[in-house]
Amino acid sequence: MSSLILRTATRYIQPILVLFSVFLLLAGHNEPGGGFAGGLVAAAAYTLYAIAYGVEEARRLLYVSPQGLAGAGLLAAAGSGIPSLLYGKPFMTGLWHEGDVPGFGEIAVGTPLLFDVGVYLAVIGVTLSIVLNLAEEE
Amino acid sequence: MSNWLLTLPILIPLVTAATSLVFWRSVRTQRAAAVIGAIALLLAALALAARVDAEGIQVMQAGAWEAPFGISLVADLFSAIMVTIAAAMGLAIVYYSLWSMDRERESFCYYPLLQVLLMGVCGAFLTGDLFNLYVWFEVMLMASFVLLSLGGERPQLEGAIKYVTLNLVSSAVFLSAVGILYGIVGSLNMADLAVKLHGETEPVMATTLAMMFLVAFGIKAAIFPLFFWLPASYHTPPIAVTAIFAGLLTKVGVYALMRVFTLLFTQDVGFTHTVILVLSGFTMVTGVLGAAAQNEFRRILTFHIVSQIGYLIMGLALFTPLALAGSVYYMVHVIIAKTNLFLISGVVHASEGTYELGKLGGLYKRRPYLSLAFMISALALAGIPPLSGFFAKYSLVAAGLDRGSYGIVAAALGVSVLTLFSMTKIWAAAFWAPGPAEPAALGPGGERRIRAMMVPVAALAGASVAMGVGAEYFIGLSLRASAQLLDPNQYIGAVLGRNAL
Amino acid sequence: MLPIVVNVVLGMLGLALVLTCIRLLRGPSMADRVVALDLISTLAVGMICVYAISTDQDVYLRDAIVLAVIAFLGTTAFANYLGKGGQP
Repeated sequence: MSSLILRTATRYIQPILVLFSVFLLLAGHNEPGGGFAGGLVAAAAYTLYAIAYGVEEARRLLYVSPQGLAGAGLLAAAGSGIPSLLYGKPFMTGLWHEGDVPGFGEIAVGTPLLFDVGVYLAVIGVTLSIVLNLAEEE
Repeated sequence: MSNWLLTLPILIPLVTAATSLVFWRSVRTQRAAAVIGAIALLLAALALAARVDAEGIQVMQAGAWEAPFGISLVADLFSAIMVTIAAAMGLAIVYYSLWSMDRERESFCYYPLLQVLLMGVCGAFLTGDLFNLYVWFEVMLMASFVLLSLGGERPQLEGAIKYVTLNLVSSAVFLSAVGILYGIVGSLNMADLAVKLHGETEPVMATTLAMMFLVAFGIKAAIFPLFFWLPASYHTPPIAVTAIFAGLLTKVGVYALMRVFTLLFTQDVGFTHTVILVLSGFTMVTGVLGAAAQNEFRRILTFHIVSQIGYLIMGLALFTPLALAGSVYYMVHVIIAKTNLFLISGVVHASEGTYELGKLGGLYKRRPYLSLAFMISALALAGIPPLSGFFAKYSLVAAGLDRGSYGIVAAALGVSVLTLFSMTKIWAAAFWAPGPAEPAALGPGGERRIRAMMVPVAALAGASVAMGVGAEYFIGLSLRASAQLLDPNQYIGAVLGRNAL
Repeated sequence: MLPIVVNVVLGMLGLALVLTCIRLLRGPSMADRVVALDLISTLAVGMICVYAISTDQDVYLRDAIVLAVIAFLGTTAFANYLGKGGQP
């Protein structure tokens, strides 16, 4: 589709949507949101780009293949259970590390975050591989 | 940490699938990952089984959330046996697929999907939480749906639609039952449920729920009268896919039935298990009669799947130690024999180019080893001594006689004869009858490919013989497994801690 | 004061929703229906916002944003489809 309005709007909306998806991902620990919702929003952002600029351009913007993204996400999610094994705790036990980051204040990083990032990537990957394949088939 | 082992049967396929997805462009990497993953899974499963056999029921509370609040992974002997046999079938199928799967399907994520399927199966065997069981069923259903429709040939899609519709109905019933159960009891941990369902809940309510679970798992397990989706869909996909479906998927339904009807719903055995007994009789008979009417290699075998399910739940229905041991033993036996028969039909197709019995013939002369493997598996399925099926059927029949259920014993024996009849039909038409003078032109890869496909076939046939020859050991194992199944207190104690009893 | 405003606004949005549904059902062209669908989701976004105000919970605003995004995407995809000469 070659609508100038859509293309111009997409240039601005798309990055904001990706940013919003990351916000959803990070907010998901204590509030509604999380990897799944964030991943869907990010996938929507790339789908929008695919509608405005075509599937090829969207694939280039994504840089890695959707399948690879899904695989990496699954690996990350599975890997988030491993540290707990090393500490001798049952599988998937949440481990947290709290620390001060200059300019951010106190933040906590833990394996559940890694799990959520994995879900996020996997959802983007699976959704986009479906959407882009369907769009290409036309 | 001892309980590492419990997560491995789920983690290994997951990591394998993810790795192959990352390298989705390279079919060669995917093949290598699939083989390595399958071998690792088998080793992990064997280690788990050995530990369970030595030390009793193994439990892991995921995320260190104590039961009944978190998700427990539990492996009793029955689970461990099932995981092991699933892993073994996974390895056989992966190796077989290397040679029999077409390029297009291979490059379209066939191997990762197979691993996801295995993950779902192992997860269903190991979980100790009813809702988690639902999740694993869905994982399995999703992977199997894609595997079933991969390639997108028309008959395949028709079969896939029936398959997925019926399974979604089953999932809906399952989910409703889980919801009601949670509403009444307030827990979904199976051990916790077992305590509460036998204590404070009204037996009538428990029996109603039991019937809902029977319908839900009955559809998955393809018992009478809910089996019609199975013959409609199983014979359409490539043979390696059919083989793993036939070997494992319906058996997961049977596993779930055996789990809930030994652990949760034993309030009114006189009613529930009689219903199951009647259903098992009908399942056997309709399955085998359906098979007798067919004239295509794979269709005959798919109807036999249904018939064999009848035997599996017959042991559950009789509900004695010997009968349950028979079921466990039968499960392992039928998974091996059935998978192998499908693999053999694939080799026949690779060699002759058809599944139609009318067009086959003369295989006995041209492929003696294949004929031998077929004979072993077919006779094992029919229950001829000294092969595995004989001891399986013997323990079931003996248990039936002990309990005085002569009707079901008569049905089981009659169905055995009919099974033998339809195996003879395949034997006579495909192997014995004079065949076409000119052997059909071989596909790509030719003789070498067929020899490679024979490796898992030979291994599984060997396993059938070994299970018959070493029946003493295997029956002993099954008896220990059934003793655990019939004593829910062991399971409850392992999950909730001793003081819960 | 606030409850009254919320109720009035919800009533107005509800009325708009009913009218839009009529448009959705009557058509007559596909483009009309697409616009009606888009409007319905916009109205839903409005309702979520009103609800967020009345309950004083800002987390609902996230849902509104996501719904708005999905609706926009859906409408764009429909427009794309119609523009390519799909069934009118």
